[in-house]
Amino acid sequence: MATVTIRNVWKYYNQTPAVKDLNLTCPDGSFVSILGPSGCGKSSTMRMLAGLEHISAGDILFDDVRINDLAPKDRDVAMVFENYALYPHKTVFENIANPLRLRKASEATIKDRVNGAAKLLEISHLLDRRPSELSGGQKQRVAIGRAIVREPKLFLFDEPIAHLDAKLRAHMRGEIKHLQKTLGTTMIYVTHDQLEALSMADYIAVMHDGELQQWGTPSEIFNHPVNAWVAGFVGEPAMNFVTAEIRGGGDGVTLKHANFEIPLLASQVGKLNGAAQAGTARMGVRPDALTISMTRPDGPAITGVIFVNELLGGDMLVEVQLQDVRMRVKTSTDFAGKPGETCWLTVNREKWHVFDAGDGHAYF
Amino acid sequence: MASRDVVHYDTPLQRVLRVLAVIFVVLYLIWTLLPFVIMFVSSFKDLLAAFKLPEVGDWMGIGVFFDFTPTYKHYATLFQENNFGRYIMNSLIAAGGSAVISVIFGSLAAYSLSRVDFRGKSDLFFWIISTRMAPVVAVMVPLFAIFRSLDLVGTLPGLILAYTTFNLPFAIWILKGFFDNVPYGIEEAQMVDGATRFQAFTSILPLVAPGIGAFIVLCVLFAWNDFLFAAIIGSGGAKTLPVATRELVQPQNIQWGAIMAAGVVTTAPMMLLGLVIRKYLVTGLTMGAVKE
Repeated sequence: MATVTIRNVWKYYNQTPAVKDLNLTCPDGSFVSILGPSGCGKSSTMRMLAGLEHISAGDILFDDVRINDLAPKDRDVAMVFENYALYPHKTVFENIANPLRLRKASEATIKDRVNGAAKLLEISHLLDRRPSELSGGQKQRVAIGRAIVREPKLFLFDEPIAHLDAKLRAHMRGEIKHLQKTLGTTMIYVTHDQLEALSMADYIAVMHDGELQQWGTPSEIFNHPVNAWVAGFVGEPAMNFVTAEIRGGGDGVTLKHANFEIPLLASQVGKLNGAAQAGTARMGVRPDALTISMTRPDGPAITGVIFVNELLGGDMLVEVQLQDVRMRVKTSTDFAGKPGETCWLTVNREKWHVFDAGDGHAYF
Repeated sequence: MASRDVVHYDTPLQRVLRVLAVIFVVLYLIWTLLPFVIMFVSSFKDLLAAFKLPEVGDWMGIGVFFDFTPTYKHYATLFQENNFGRYIMNSLIAAGGSAVISVIFGSLAAYSLSRVDFRGKSDLFFWIISTRMAPVVAVMVPLFAIFRSLDLVGTLPGLILAYTTFNLPFAIWILKGFFDNVPYGIEEAQMVDGATRFQAFTSILPLVAPGIGAFIVLCVLFAWNDFLFAAIIGSGGAKTLPVATRELVQPQNIQWGAIMAAGVVTTAPMMLLGLVIRKYLVTGLTMGAVKE
């Protein structure tokens, strides 16, 4: 159990910065997910936490103790690797027992703890096998078993379920979250899958190009992204972005585009500080904040032509062609529109966002 | 790496080729095995029987080769008069010693070259291999001069050092390939689990065991069969089997029977070793080459 503080940390590979001035505080006992696309510096951060990479600048503290110069074995962390990194020549039992053996635990303790971990992960019947005889999901459980068999200060999970099939991944999400809550140990979980981060984490740190974009709870990240990049990365299907013009002043501010002109809500006008008025901006709307209809609705709406319908099992995703972009709309499967027909989109203005056209920061 | 069924459809030409291939293999077997058979059989014959030959063209007289009363006197001569027990020990110590030393230093060096990036690494690696590029004979004289001034000529440590000089680059070269194929993640996992760097290194040694096994065999073979080093650097105090066998050829008296027996004594252990680790050797040599 530990509070993890990352303070002004930089990581350089030769001249290339991989992590830029990262600042994070992970509260004791929390489940923190570092989310970002590949190459965003999330794995470098994790490896610096584990002690597998040097920290180019800055400090990492566990409970106010600086651990920059400690070897991995002295940091008391447990890590699950993306490729599991099991010892191929050892049985499952010996794989899980390894951290205890290295700490010279007694044979009785080892037996006790390994069996306990195996029971928790439901792999008791596999203890005599070797990793090559296991399926992907089983290997992953063994890797987790090796991490939880002792009680470390911190768990580091590096995309542990990225290589599992979709069904098993969904199952393991629940299991890992339950496990973390049961053990109560601080966990840092690196992933590129926004769904994993949203569904499991207490806090999410979104990274892009080595920089922390946003820190917050899953709902903050999803509902109040700080910039267009975060908004576009989180959420599936992805948010629609349309470049539009801000018109008017005072109370009557509207977003104007060739296909629509929609007024902002009164509460939102104030958030567009004066500088942004009467310029271009990027409107961001998630597919589920749009309603599609084949007849012109009352009130402001976006006019477009249906491009294609995609059935996603329980939902239907409709792509609508505007003058310069396509927007995706989530609707029900009984939607009757056909490609080529004209349709109208109504925006749920409680849930839309406007981003600066230049640096992409969110006005609201 | 599962073997696959090779699908093939016979044409008359292929049938002929297959018969030719069998004939070739049979001839090749006779060509390679006959010397050993003659050596083995002759070592149990007394001199008169050993030189009994059938007339040229008399294929029925081939039985003459096997018409003899076995005698063990040549082996008795070797061990009682010629001190071969001692030479066997010398060969074993020289071959085994250099193999062990080469494996220890070779695996450490190969591990470093495989895992650590440092300036001049590729040059260093090339230099290590390049020491094997010069023919042994070319460096024999300077090597002898160095060994003589260090009082190493005619001693077992000297011989071990000489073999190690030539085996170590080979060990580094072979083992680096094996270490390269072991995922680094395994050591990282070990270190996070609580291992030191050295413990992490020893923990992956079982994964390169095929490579180490293959190397030990090649290294022992090289030292065991070597004549040049043994004759020049080991001569006198550290006489090995090939040199001792050579000394059975004396100006007035070539001891054919003893030479045959010495040949058997020299060859048999290596053949046994080859049989025992045959499977290991093949997986070892191919595992480094093919990435799975």
